Amino acid sequence: MITAGIDMGAKTIKVVIVKDNKIVARSMNPTGFEPVQTAEKTLEEAIKQAGISRGDIKKILTTGAGRKSIPFADNSVTEVTADAKGINYLLPSVRTIVDIGAEEARGISSDASGRVLDFSKNDKCAAGAGAFVESMSRALELTVPLMIEISHKSTKDAPINATCAVFAESEVVSLIHTKIDKADIAHAVHDAIASRVCSMVRRIPIEKDVALIGGVANNTAIVEAMKKHLGVEIKVPEKPEYVSALGAALLAAA
Amino acid sequence: MGAIEKFQEVLATRHQYAQDWKKKHNGKAIGWLCTYSPVEIMYAAGMLPVRILGSHEVQDVTDRYLFPTVCPFSRDALAQGLKGRYNYLDGLTMARTCSHVQGTYDNWKNYIPIPFKYYVWQPNHMQSPRAKPLMVQEYKGFIVALEKFTGKKITDQDLGKAIELYNTNRKLMKQVYEFRKKEEPPITGAECMEMVVASQLMDVAEHNKLLEQLLKELPTRKLNRNVGVRLMMVGSEMDDIVFVKMMETLNCTVVIDEHCTGSRYFWDEVKPGKDHVAAIAARYVDRWQCPAVAAEFKPRTDRILKHAKDWSIQGVLVYQQKFCDPHEFDIPSLLKMFKDNNIATLVLEFDVTIPFGQFRTRIEAFLEILELELV
Amino acid sequence: MTTVTKYKTAPLKCWQKGKELRLEAYRDLATGHEQGKLMVLGCAATPYGMLAGLGDFVFLAGEPYGASVAADPPVSIPAMELYEAKGYARDMCGYMRNFLGTMFQDKYYFTGGPFPKFDFAWSVRHCPAGHPKWHQIVSEYQGIPMNYIDDETMLGTDGDQQARIDYVAGQYLDSIEWMEKITKRKYDDEKGIEAMRNYFINEGLWGEINLLNGAIPAPLDIKSMFALMPISMLRRHEKVAIEFLTELRDELKERIADKIAAVPNERYRMCMLTPPPWSFLKVFRYLENYGVVFAGTYVYLINSGEVKFLYDEGKVVPATPPEKRPGWKTMKNREDLCRTVARWRAEHPFQSHLETRKKEYVIMFKHWKANAYLLLINRGCVPMTTSMYDFQRDLNRQGIPTSMFEGNFADCRDIDETGVLDRLETFLEGQGIQKIQSL
Repeated sequence: MITAGIDMGAKTIKVVIVKDNKIVARSMNPTGFEPVQTAEKTLEEAIKQAGISRGDIKKILTTGAGRKSIPFADNSVTEVTADAKGINYLLPSVRTIVDIGAEEARGISSDASGRVLDFSKNDKCAAGAGAFVESMSRALELTVPLMIEISHKSTKDAPINATCAVFAESEVVSLIHTKIDKADIAHAVHDAIASRVCSMVRRIPIEKDVALIGGVANNTAIVEAMKKHLGVEIKVPEKPEYVSALGAALLAAA
Repeated sequence: MGAIEKFQEVLATRHQYAQDWKKKHNGKAIGWLCTYSPVEIMYAAGMLPVRILGSHEVQDVTDRYLFPTVCPFSRDALAQGLKGRYNYLDGLTMARTCSHVQGTYDNWKNYIPIPFKYYVWQPNHMQSPRAKPLMVQEYKGFIVALEKFTGKKITDQDLGKAIELYNTNRKLMKQVYEFRKKEEPPITGAECMEMVVASQLMDVAEHNKLLEQLLKELPTRKLNRNVGVRLMMVGSEMDDIVFVKMMETLNCTVVIDEHCTGSRYFWDEVKPGKDHVAAIAARYVDRWQCPAVAAEFKPRTDRILKHAKDWSIQGVLVYQQKFCDPHEFDIPSLLKMFKDNNIATLVLEFDVTIPFGQFRTRIEAFLEILELELV
Repeated sequence: MTTVTKYKTAPLKCWQKGKELRLEAYRDLATGHEQGKLMVLGCAATPYGMLAGLGDFVFLAGEPYGASVAADPPVSIPAMELYEAKGYARDMCGYMRNFLGTMFQDKYYFTGGPFPKFDFAWSVRHCPAGHPKWHQIVSEYQGIPMNYIDDETMLGTDGDQQARIDYVAGQYLDSIEWMEKITKRKYDDEKGIEAMRNYFINEGLWGEINLLNGAIPAPLDIKSMFALMPISMLRRHEKVAIEFLTELRDELKERIADKIAAVPNERYRMCMLTPPPWSFLKVFRYLENYGVVFAGTYVYLINSGEVKFLYDEGKVVPATPPEKRPGWKTMKNREDLCRTVARWRAEHPFQSHLETRKKEYVIMFKHWKANAYLLLINRGCVPMTTSMYDFQRDLNRQGIPTSMFEGNFADCRDIDETGVLDRLETFLEGQGIQKIQSL
């Protein structure tokens, strides 16, 4: 059986196609201003990659912020449910999932079958999300990859009170003017995000194994900082940004 | 070492100070959260009253316990407890005042092991003639509990001695504050804060000795700095001394304050009386009210205005601990009072840590306006 | 999508009468002062029946007024903006901000006309972050006298509780004398006592009505409950409220016997701890699409209502009026009245200590036969918010699922409706509850 999962994220749309419980395609595009068209395009790219035709797909399930806007989907499921299912497939030992997306972070507690037991999310606050990393990289006049790279070279703490992303940006500007090394500022930014996220995640029971997913999981500086704040080993699956879409595809096959 | 340097040392090593005190006196230390806690009674019990303060560091441990939109001081104080920095405390007490710090107390009580806990349910209707008799009852209950915990009776003599020491402490600090009326105060606002905060952390007898030393030093102390604009600081809890130090590098001096790590804590003395418990109770009912227990604006604004005039201030920094409801209620009336009296004000909102750069700019701009007006 | 119509449903027979009584209450609030009645400001938990000793009165409870404004965004938003323009902080109680905003606008919500000048403010002080400092602002703005009863006895965990109750009773007595002085009216003890007798009965009835929603299916939906609540909240001192609430209670018992449901497709039951988001009440109708019914909210069980918790048995039963309780005196004069009210308030579940509350939440969860709690973190309300994470942890530890969202129950600008629905959908999905559609 062939199914597809579409993660309609705020920043990017991801598609995963699963055939008989195996991942056969992944594709991603920036969401842009025409999300339905982007979803169509991304799906077509994945279909081509899988070497199948549209009619071969038995069911399409959407997830993500824009999940209800896709007319050609059969149904939708929330990101929390999709995350738990997806990670259960990739790393069955995981019981706590931290998903940091562009604009939202989630903490999910799940059981051995990938069922959601509890979850927490950040409320109207982007200080613990991917968009913050990008805006800070602009303030530091660095690309995100370079910011991550120099962050690992930091030798000093420069704490940021990142209760609010907007004010945290002001603090970063202040730090730049005090001639603190960019590496230390970059490290401070990552530390602040991890701190905010962990603060939110601690509202649910934290049980090993703990996994970090979502696009921000590719940020090794965040992974290091999360390990430090949570005090546990953090697993990052391959292609962490696709876990939600994968979960949706698997649920479509269930 | 000068007295001020000694105060600074205590602040920097406060936890060690308390532990050393305990060892030296074979005594117990009791933490308190709000200035309505009767320090005289704790001291009379032979304990070291230790004000629990935050550390102004970023923290992520309190969100599980206290909702984030709770006063930063309350969160920062709880964070210290959760991080184990106050593990040497034998007791914790709170006097009923404000809901935010109530959260700190409740969570500390429930989740941080501490041998002795006591909640003084003090009256909050201070204008009621029933307040003093009830306060006496509450203090009697506190005394009984302290006696049970320490295994030592609190005698009338102990209470009398404690009252005397704390009254001396208050008198001496007021004398220091008198020096700030001078055209060139020999002590900065930050140094005064260090003195007052140290008084909340130290054995009052030791602190009195240092005050006496300070009062000997002040007449000839020269600061070699520009006094600049004379400012008053008004607000709730304020122990961000680093901030005040930064502010005073910008051509200004904080010459007087009204906050609870400043004059509001110590200004009123216990009026002597045969019944010491009643006398202490009267002091806390009649004292300079915190907005959390006051139901009238005028007594506070009148008192603040008098201080402002007596210390010849030229501007006021009203600092607001973010989310602090009781003080937020008072701010519009305060600002109106200052405006009606042609005193310029700057309002700044504080959190556990603050954006120094942005605050510096605001203060500089404020001072520039005042300097132009004063020319 | 599955389709299930499980239960028969019928409108409430007494609904129209309830509406009229409610409108009467609002009309009285709008015109009472003009009719020569005393107009007094306080908080809803105040035993305002005591004011009857001074004669005819209208008691404007700030919170329900604030909630009424909050449920009307075109009125609420400009009011709150003016409040903020006056220099008051935005993170304070939403009810208060709506109230003060309309006062500063000089626009009374119930009439659209000028905001009334109160004769005085008199209130219990159950929240140091709000009441009575709220009234302090009104007192200064309108130049009216104010007094309050400091009675947060639930926080007393150490020491002599009786001394505190005596202090509270003393304040009530002193305030009667104060009211006589400022109104130049003689206080009629008997009238005050009679009104408070009605007050106690009404609270007991409202509590009992809330308890009846423990039946499956629930006979009363939460939106209707909110709509009828003003009768108890605003008219607790009146016999006409006793008559209506008795009728409502009896009708609910009939509905239970006939298995008449408020929500015909009821299949998942939730309850709350706090007031709802007043500008977003449609969330409850939305959840009915999932077959979710709300059995009740703890806060309105014990605020304008009263019940008796039997902690050792893990049960809850209707409350009896104080004079019928063993060891309580019959009220004969104002001293008795004040002592009774002080003791009644101290023993009322409204005054339950934090740790006792946790037990009560679990008892109510079981009594309402709920599947989960919905926890609203109301930004701006310190007492209800500060310990919410602690409550959540405690409930979860006992196996009670909870769904939590943040928002302001009285500030429509501070509630993310899409986010709330998303969160609820996520929670229900985890519980295995999908949307259902009628055939």
